[in-house]
Amino acid sequence: MSSSRPVDIVLATLICLQTVLCGGSLCHADDTANENTTKENPSQERPVQFSRDIRPILSDKCFKCHGPDEGGREADLRLDRRDDAKHVLTFKQSKPSELLQRVTSSDPDERMPPADSKLSLTRSEIELLRRWIKQGARYNKHWSLESIQAGALPKVKRADWPKNEIDRFILARIEAEQLAPSPLASREKLIRRLSFDLTGLPPTLEEIDTFLADKSSDAFAKLVDRMLAKEEFGERMAVNWLDVARYADSYGYQQDRTRYVWPWRDWVIKAFNQNMPYSDFVTWQLAGDLLPNATDEQILATTFNRLHSQKVEGGSTPEEFRVEYVADRTHTFGTAFLGLTLECCRCHDHKYDPVTQKEYYQFFAFFNNIDEAGLYSWYTSSVPTPTLRMANDATKAKMADVEDRIAAEEKKLQALTEERQPAFQKWLTARGAKPDISGRIAHLDFEDGNQGANVVVPGRIGQAVRLTGDDAIGMKVGNFRRSDPFSVALWINTPDVKERAVVFHRSKSWTDAGSRGYQLLIEEGRLSFSLVHFWPGNAIRVRTRDRIPTDKWLHFTVAYDGSSTAAGVRLFINGKPAPTRVVRDNLYKNMTGGGGDNISIGARNRDRGFARGLVDEFQVFNRQLAPIEISQLHDGHSLADLLKQSNDTLSKDQSASLLRYYLATSDAEYRKQLAALRSVREERSKTVDGITEIMVMKELDPPRQTHRLKRGAYDAPLEPVTAATPVSLPPFPSDLPGNRLGLARWLTDPGNPLAARVAVNRYWQLCFGRGLVQTPEDFGSQGQPPTHPRLLDWLSRRFIESGWDVKAILRLMVTSAAYRQTSITSPQLQKGDPDNRLLTRSPRYRLQAEMIRDNAMAASGLLVKRVGGPPVRPYEVAVSFKPLTRDKGEGLYRRSLYTFWKRTAPAPVMMSLDAAKREVCVVKRERTASPLQALVLLNDPQFVEAARVLGQRMLKKHGTDIDSAAAEMFRVLTSRQPSPAERKILRKLYDEQLQDFQKDVAKAERLLKVGDAPRDSSIAAPRLAAAAVLASVLMNFDESVMKR
Amino acid sequence: MKSPICTGFESTAGLTRRRFLDRFGMGLGGIALSDLLQSGDARAGGVDSAQTLAPKARRVIYLFQSGAPSQMDLFDHKPVLNEKHGTELPDEIRQGQRLTAMSGNQSSLPLAGSPFKFQQHGESGAWLSDLLPHTAKVADDLCFIQSMYTEAINHGPAVTFLQTGSQFPGRPSMGAWLNYGLGTDNENLPAFVVLVTKNKGGQPLISRLWGSGFLASEHQGVRFRSGKDPVLYLSNPDGIDSGTRRRMLDRLGELHQLQLKRTADRAVEERISQYELAFKMQKSIPDVIDMSDEPESVLKEYGDDVRNPGTYAANCLLARRLAERGVRFIQLYHQGWDQHGNLPAGIATQCRETDQASAALINDLKRRGLLKDTLVVWGGEFGRTNYCQGKLTKTNFGRDHHPRCFSMWMAGGGVKPGITYGQTDAYSYNIAENPVHVHDLQATILHLLGIDHERLTFKHQGRWYRLTDVHGRVVDDIVA
Repeated sequence: MSSSRPVDIVLATLICLQTVLCGGSLCHADDTANENTTKENPSQERPVQFSRDIRPILSDKCFKCHGPDEGGREADLRLDRRDDAKHVLTFKQSKPSELLQRVTSSDPDERMPPADSKLSLTRSEIELLRRWIKQGARYNKHWSLESIQAGALPKVKRADWPKNEIDRFILARIEAEQLAPSPLASREKLIRRLSFDLTGLPPTLEEIDTFLADKSSDAFAKLVDRMLAKEEFGERMAVNWLDVARYADSYGYQQDRTRYVWPWRDWVIKAFNQNMPYSDFVTWQLAGDLLPNATDEQILATTFNRLHSQKVEGGSTPEEFRVEYVADRTHTFGTAFLGLTLECCRCHDHKYDPVTQKEYYQFFAFFNNIDEAGLYSWYTSSVPTPTLRMANDATKAKMADVEDRIAAEEKKLQALTEERQPAFQKWLTARGAKPDISGRIAHLDFEDGNQGANVVVPGRIGQAVRLTGDDAIGMKVGNFRRSDPFSVALWINTPDVKERAVVFHRSKSWTDAGSRGYQLLIEEGRLSFSLVHFWPGNAIRVRTRDRIPTDKWLHFTVAYDGSSTAAGVRLFINGKPAPTRVVRDNLYKNMTGGGGDNISIGARNRDRGFARGLVDEFQVFNRQLAPIEISQLHDGHSLADLLKQSNDTLSKDQSASLLRYYLATSDAEYRKQLAALRSVREERSKTVDGITEIMVMKELDPPRQTHRLKRGAYDAPLEPVTAATPVSLPPFPSDLPGNRLGLARWLTDPGNPLAARVAVNRYWQLCFGRGLVQTPEDFGSQGQPPTHPRLLDWLSRRFIESGWDVKAILRLMVTSAAYRQTSITSPQLQKGDPDNRLLTRSPRYRLQAEMIRDNAMAASGLLVKRVGGPPVRPYEVAVSFKPLTRDKGEGLYRRSLYTFWKRTAPAPVMMSLDAAKREVCVVKRERTASPLQALVLLNDPQFVEAARVLGQRMLKKHGTDIDSAAAEMFRVLTSRQPSPAERKILRKLYDEQLQDFQKDVAKAERLLKVGDAPRDSSIAAPRLAAAAVLASVLMNFDESVMKR
Repeated sequence: MKSPICTGFESTAGLTRRRFLDRFGMGLGGIALSDLLQSGDARAGGVDSAQTLAPKARRVIYLFQSGAPSQMDLFDHKPVLNEKHGTELPDEIRQGQRLTAMSGNQSSLPLAGSPFKFQQHGESGAWLSDLLPHTAKVADDLCFIQSMYTEAINHGPAVTFLQTGSQFPGRPSMGAWLNYGLGTDNENLPAFVVLVTKNKGGQPLISRLWGSGFLASEHQGVRFRSGKDPVLYLSNPDGIDSGTRRRMLDRLGELHQLQLKRTADRAVEERISQYELAFKMQKSIPDVIDMSDEPESVLKEYGDDVRNPGTYAANCLLARRLAERGVRFIQLYHQGWDQHGNLPAGIATQCRETDQASAALINDLKRRGLLKDTLVVWGGEFGRTNYCQGKLTKTNFGRDHHPRCFSMWMAGGGVKPGITYGQTDAYSYNIAENPVHVHDLQATILHLLGIDHERLTFKHQGRWYRLTDVHGRVVDDIVA
């Protein structure tokens, strides 16, 4: 636990801080410091650089009121552009500039920043401002927005030290500070470091021995190649990418149900292992669906954009959360690829960086264009649309086959219309005169009194029901499948123009069920019929073109043919086909299920009912009615009249009407064909409805209009905007499409200054523990400038020129001399480079959560190395905040990256070791040290079990040679041999514990029962237990958990 | 801690300069400090000015009533609702404000008067319903706020808003902010402890509510479980007794001493103290959990539930024990207040579970002299509607979410006792007087702890963040 009050901290840190601050000039040094005058001529003032020295001050202390944000600007002064600030920067010998006057004034009314801003300038900042103004107050662009410089390699004195170009930059900085780099690390340290950095796992003893024995000059390079070629490389790289992608196996927010997204994680592993160029890696994830002839794999990559949290809580406003999802995608894009914090400009122009609120919504527009809902479904397990069906080749073949057969059956049906003419003619002569509208499975005429709270009133025919809007009238029929033809007919009368009203439906609920089922609504005065698997992306909706009249009875019929197409949904008003608009035509999964299996009239759970609306003569048919039947239902005579009419007076149209009636009701052949068609459609449902879906991106056509949102509020749209990139960044080429694919192309254009820098910086962080820019999430003016700007540019340029070759850039980094230094520091370096910004030594830091656990698993031999597959539930999920049932067997021993990630209650061991929470995009993890971590490593059954199994393995191998067993235990956990002094301690502990357990064998037995892994009963319990204790101590030892 | 300091650094619990400056942001003295250090001037002015005023409270016990208790059935006495029971919510009261998608589509919104009897209590004359007989007895120690309001309309966002200052995930919780800003007041216990009543259903809680957001994870709340291990893996595994554990730590310490010699690395020292602290916690946490030393009279006062670990009553008593031992922020959660239906029976159960222990906690703290510097906060995430959700019958009804007004109470820690602050309209629908926004409440809590809410900042992704975002004002009228 940390120290108590600020006061204590200050006193205690005083000395330490002074040490650090004395070296403060380091932060301002350049990585080609030879050109600098500091050392040679200390009296001469170092030139002040705007982007390095001044912009951070202005940004932090002044831009809030005098920056790019027009809305927040005071006194009409902006300091971020020279032309606008010139007048306060003019320096005259006699009179200081106004800016300087104001920041140094002792008059509280004059002094800037004003007291109520709670901001203040330090003396050194004022001094920098003074020097900057004196030197002419020159401006330049923020460093990260400048194009990538292809600088020359700096000259160095110690020409023998550099192993590659990286080292020239590093050494130049070190030499400029008159320091020297550290010696080479031992081979054991090197292979351990490299193995964790590139594979996330410790090296095996065989790997260590091979490397130690390899005396060739390129032994290390070969080792690097071996590591990069392993499958574990992809797993290691994926861990950090999952943080960026806010990957989780559950939806998040409050209810936090499980979701199926792991195939995307496996794709990431595969992409890294195949060394997919970073530009493709990015493009596929942002816009794989828009690539020409996109493959399933390319579409799957876009799941990246859907990994944000999603909401299901009842009563939520869907649009509020849909906007939140789009914002999350936008922010993730900004942080992950641009290193820009776009969050700020969601509500107003960015206070610090040149991005306006309008430009934010222009980015937003790229991601605002999929057919998604703001809520996922409570009552069903529908995958939120858009989705990709995860079909294998066999299933795909089956799907194609069944579609072919449907087409064939449809063709046959069509042909029958002609072929059955003779039969029709025969029927015409022999027909009865009475209409026979068969297939009616339910009829409510409301003649029998009130329906619950719904009152019966005089209606269109006899009595009708007046609906309360809150009380549904339930029926006992209506659970149609999408392959079932059906029709529903009713009289309705609305008292007013309904913005929304549920007339009837077969569903459990509205958004809480993703509207699963079918429904007739009044929407903005129009009748709207839908068949829905999940609204809006997996559904059909057909809406009348015209508004329906108020206070007037009208007859409505929907007739559906079972085709799962909008064309198969026909709406009739007063017996005539109504002019309609197809709102959605994309139903590709079942509309049954979710509850609410039968038709309900007038109201729906958490939806707006048909309040004060009238309904009469409600009829349900289990077939698609012919138009003339529908006319008959409306007027009670059309069909009857026609049937009575003599054959010779029938017009062509009348004859056609009768033909359709005949085929639908009386022609055995036609009806047989209808049944055949239905059966093959049912077969399609059986083939495809069970296919697992995964959330992906798919453009809406036509696109959704994006607006600037007032203060970011979902319900406060301002002017419309179109997709575009900010003017402060390179222009968006006019030949690129204004969609996500265009955005990806723009991003990965070699001229884009950010994409490569941001990526290279993260890879540097992966190898060196922190980036050259130590705020990898923020390359803007509030972030830190790079410690080695020219190195960053050189690496970025190299990365682009290599074709965005990830393995190559990592190889370059880890084969550098900088990487291979020892991490042990000297007093001299501690003083000259206290924070190791110069990389005068190799950094040391605690391994990340996954590595610590995987190290224990690997050392014990329990680790199950299998790449990919569904997430697993190791011991720790049973003790999370929302406990889950743990796995038995393999699932306990997979690499930590496969641990089931539940957002609202993440794996507790991972969390205590600072794993990212995966709520939002994270590009850098914290590294903390707390006693809770010690408790985990000492007492968590998975570590205790691993210790026990490791001890057992060593005893089996070394028998009674305890020293050898202990030494090997030490070695598998730390990758090196113990020193004599260490050996003594290990032996002592083993002996002490052996004695202890021999005195109390039952105690030993208890320890050996921890964990599912079997115990070797051929070894005495006290020995096994003593070895387990020894292994447990070693798992807690510094070198087991630290990268050194 | 027996480790010698031989790396030449003052051990300050690992605070680096960066961390230090980050912590106090541009306000809380960090900049002034760096300034004075650079100039060699030893005034400690920056830090003094950070403490804008002497803290009135040293710690907080937050009794979070999750699910949102109905204000007009507990605190906000509205006879008009009884008079107009069953009539429609007047449009001029609703003023077109948004409703949830649960009742928002109801065709009828009938007003529902409270079936519970209200009386005034204590010298302060605070109105309370007969659901809260014990709270009524400590009314003069409490400061009721009738005019709370929030922006969120559903549980997830609303609880997150109250606890983190933002409706959306990702920000640090109030306890984490305090832990980060003030550090700990004790050696052997976490600074921020979370206690959740066991076996309660209702709206789920989420670990982010006590999470550290973008602050370091060490600042997150430590949830005490009600089982054998109050802290994750606190107990030694089976077969490891304390003798073995001590030996293990001693040998580990010896290995680490060698490592320290070899590397001269401060991180090794940190590791040594980390293990010693863990060892201490293995004793101090069971000690605080073990209530066998509590006199019978105290147990009686909290009620029968107190003998059942994990109940609200047991957690209240545990909160007092933690407060005594210097835990900075003790966050209780009691779920089950989400009475969309069956309100009369549901709310009565909730009150039975919480009323006595909440009042006992106040008395207990007071008796021990702890109430004066312990701030106790009682309340949920929003209010409930004055109209009925679902069917209004003679004996039964429900209430939907209502963000426009709700009631809370605070006590101790520099809050004025025996007052009622703010008022709602006659319908308990809108605020009539002295509105208190969630950010105002947060600002006031920080203020009572001696912190200027505008100065407790953390720079994340290029922006300085605060618990109160860019809002919040201290409610001076309730500060003693």
